[in-house]
Amino acid sequence: MLFGAATFFGGDPAIHGWAMATAAVVAASCALVGTLLVVRRMSLLGDAIGHAVLPGIAIAVLAGGRPGGLFVFVGAVAAALLTVWLIQGLRAAGGLAEDAGAGVVFTTLFAIGVVIISAAPAGTHIDPACVLAGDLTFIPFDTVTIADRAVPRAFLAATLSFAVLAAAAVATWKLQVFTAFDPAAARAAGVPVAAITAGLLAATAVATVASFDVVGAVLVVALLVVPAAAAELLAHRLHVMALIAMALAVVGACIGYLAAWHFNTNAAGMIAVVLGLEYIAAAILAPDDGVFARAFGRLRLAWRVAREDRLAGVWREEESAARGRSAVAAPSLLERCAAEWLRIDGSLVRDGGTWRLSPRGRRDAETVVRSHRLWEAWLGRHADLPLDHLHPPAEWVEHHLGAAMRRRIEVETGWRQSDPHGREIPPEA
Amino acid sequence: MSRAAADPGQDGPRAGGPPLVDFHDVTVAYGGRPVIWNVDLEIDAACLFGIIGPNGAGKSTLLKAALGLVPMVGGSVHFFGKPLREVRPRVGYVPQRETVDWDFPVNVMDVVLMGTYGRLGWFRRPGARERQLARDSLDRVGLADLAGRQIGRLSGGQQQRVFLARALAQQADVYLLDEPMAGVDMRSQEQIFRVLAELKAEGRLVIVVHHDLRTAAEWFDRVALVDMRLVASGPTAAVLTPENLQRTYAGHIDVLEELGRAVATRGRTP
Amino acid sequence: MTLLGLPYNTLVVAVGVAAVGFAAGVVGSLCVLRKRSLVGDAAAHATLVGVAGAFLATGRRDLATLLVGALSAAIAGLAALLLVRRFTRTRDDAATAIVIGVSFGLGITLVSGLPAWGYANSAGLEQFLLGHTAALTAADAMLLTGVACFATVVVTLLFKETTLVAFDAAFAAATGWPVLLIDAVIVGLVAVMVVAGLPAVGAVLVTALVVIPPVAARAWTDRMSTMLLLAGTMGLVAAVVGVLVSAAWPRLATGPLVVLAAAAIFGISFIAAPKRGWIARRLRDAARNA
Repeated sequence: MLFGAATFFGGDPAIHGWAMATAAVVAASCALVGTLLVVRRMSLLGDAIGHAVLPGIAIAVLAGGRPGGLFVFVGAVAAALLTVWLIQGLRAAGGLAEDAGAGVVFTTLFAIGVVIISAAPAGTHIDPACVLAGDLTFIPFDTVTIADRAVPRAFLAATLSFAVLAAAAVATWKLQVFTAFDPAAARAAGVPVAAITAGLLAATAVATVASFDVVGAVLVVALLVVPAAAAELLAHRLHVMALIAMALAVVGACIGYLAAWHFNTNAAGMIAVVLGLEYIAAAILAPDDGVFARAFGRLRLAWRVAREDRLAGVWREEESAARGRSAVAAPSLLERCAAEWLRIDGSLVRDGGTWRLSPRGRRDAETVVRSHRLWEAWLGRHADLPLDHLHPPAEWVEHHLGAAMRRRIEVETGWRQSDPHGREIPPEA
Repeated sequence: MSRAAADPGQDGPRAGGPPLVDFHDVTVAYGGRPVIWNVDLEIDAACLFGIIGPNGAGKSTLLKAALGLVPMVGGSVHFFGKPLREVRPRVGYVPQRETVDWDFPVNVMDVVLMGTYGRLGWFRRPGARERQLARDSLDRVGLADLAGRQIGRLSGGQQQRVFLARALAQQADVYLLDEPMAGVDMRSQEQIFRVLAELKAEGRLVIVVHHDLRTAAEWFDRVALVDMRLVASGPTAAVLTPENLQRTYAGHIDVLEELGRAVATRGRTP
Repeated sequence: MTLLGLPYNTLVVAVGVAAVGFAAGVVGSLCVLRKRSLVGDAAAHATLVGVAGAFLATGRRDLATLLVGALSAAIAGLAALLLVRRFTRTRDDAATAIVIGVSFGLGITLVSGLPAWGYANSAGLEQFLLGHTAALTAADAMLLTGVACFATVVVTLLFKETTLVAFDAAFAAATGWPVLLIDAVIVGLVAVMVVAGLPAVGAVLVTALVVIPPVAARAWTDRMSTMLLLAGTMGLVAAVVGVLVSAAWPRLATGPLVVLAAAAIFGISFIAAPKRGWIARRLRDAARNA
């Protein structure tokens, strides 16, 4: 069997519990680091580091280090920093674009790592398949005893790295936010931007190594980027985003693990799939600019425009009738629906075959007409537009003007009483 | 250059016909947020036409909208009374210099030949005729001796002239240039201006997005002042009045900006 | 029949993989110049889903079936990338990383689930992870050669159009060229070459085949056509070296060896190329300062 399937160790809940807890903790570490990577547009650097730590780990293991041990961490961090140094060196010395440079560096380093592992004598604790997709199978069995309890070594390493990363994040959060938001200003303000960035890269390496046993070198990019990208769609403040990302990562790791158990397949792959589903859900359901929210916003605007147009239409009909002119264009189907709604709402009254405005409806209608004519007046004064071109833009803008803006336009048009067509601008209600 | 003579007057610039370029109520938005509002502008005679305005006024956006490079949310642009797709070969374009990677592995000749691709169509390679045309174009901008040089090893002014030569190779009747004088040395500026004046003398319309007020007054026959909307347009002397400049450079765009935000979020301004 | 002490089959496979290496270098040059270096990586990681999916759907393990599945999945992965860009405010780099991570996760889930789901003969699909040419047949090599020739011919036919779009997409659009279509051709060819590179290099590393040779070739020349030919040749050499070394040393997967060969070529080019190499630049700087 190529990759470990979760059923390997049967149904002992404690064992599954340890494996799942390990997955959850490394997922949270990666999501925390990934939040900063994503907002700093360094997602692909995270991917590159994920691949490139392999030779560092492999060499450290060959040199006698133990997977999950300190020595391996050091090797991985060194490899990560080497990756970034190489990518930046290729750009500085050879004008190589960052993505092309990353493509050269991480594939090369990963290839070196695979060759070292394949060529290494058997029994060096690295399984080439595990490199690609991780393997939770043996994690619960490699334990150390703490206070009479057998705790998996990988879980300890993961928890320890999470604690270190979380402490570092809390300690440097303000600087991280400043650097992510505006590196130039941060540098000018005396923030050690280079050190902050190097710290983030080292943190990425630590999170990657901690999750190496769980998800391998390739899938770690899913843990780093997907929860953070989903959280970015849901939050606008960085620390909120980080917390949401970690929550999504933990939930995704647990559900993914259980699903892998149920479907008898690789846990890391399934975790990546569940994180992907979480991202899709966030993209669709995000409250401000999710797919649903935007579609709903469009519909709501269309409905508001229809209601306002209908009210203004009735108002204009009354105005034309008073001046003895013929009626305005017939309302559309949507506007007729809007009229019925406005009747229920109490803004319009049906009087035989004609619509009339209730006092409230009149107030609303006058606001719309006022917005329309004010905008025509503003354009007439501040833009070089022929008189017969003023109506269409105003027909659009009238639905977007608030009271404060109307006052400002009134000032900027010099308190005109009439629009450029000579029609009266109704006063503010 | 004898194209105008070769097919005389076919829809060409002539009195009484449709305007050479007609911006009709053009509104352009990025991400739902309008950056150019209701620009309405007709240019009906061959001339040097400047589009002038402050940074971020939407001048380049207006040009790109005319070329179909950014979608309009309202309005339309016609050339010679027809939509762009029917008259593409007659419209030449010089983009901003920074929009391309000058480290690209092509030489000056390759770039100028790109001006002939539109007429060549799919699959056909440029032949002797196109090469001659490209050499003539390079000659006009004074770069004939640099034809074989990689484009990254040119000065900024030379790069801009390569772009102009590429547009000349398009053999168009209307030229749209996006900030051709930005970051360009005096000698190149003069050379570019001389070529533009020649184009005008041949009966072609040259529209230039330009940010420098001092040179605008002496270079252009007609100008449009733009700051998120059209402030004024017409003969240069009549348009570049202190009052119009005041309205362009210290204008009321904060109203338009706030309104743009409201439109983008489908809500209302305060 | 043997040549240079190598069995006939190894030689035929070497020819097929060499053709793929050449075409990947040519196609990759367009992709790198269009500043889309890592698009191939997203497509590559998605292919695993297609390989497993094609096997699940048809029960067949022949290369053509699996590669058709891989190509469908690669295109689906690229479509997902477009959807993320169109409908969310996730930035391009994160979108690429999402497609890489999630599609590869799905692929791993399928491939490792197969044995437990009763598909005992699924062993062999893992050769698509790191590449292994030992199992390829002469017919497979013919297929790969055919695909490589197709891609090379398309680039030759559309050399003018693809160069124009890669250099200045705005000008191309302004002069009436369908930039989206031409971009789709470039990215589609990259997907095709990534898929063709799978058997030899594997999903994880195949992006190297479309990135490293073009970047190395760029160091030697300032002409587009020369760069394409040179990148093709470098890809060819790297592929052949990888196949031969792994034939001689079967414990090693082919993919990493191909990548290391390409990386060696890149290293030499980057340091020693005249004019654009590191040494030449240093000498120029020194001469200027003296």
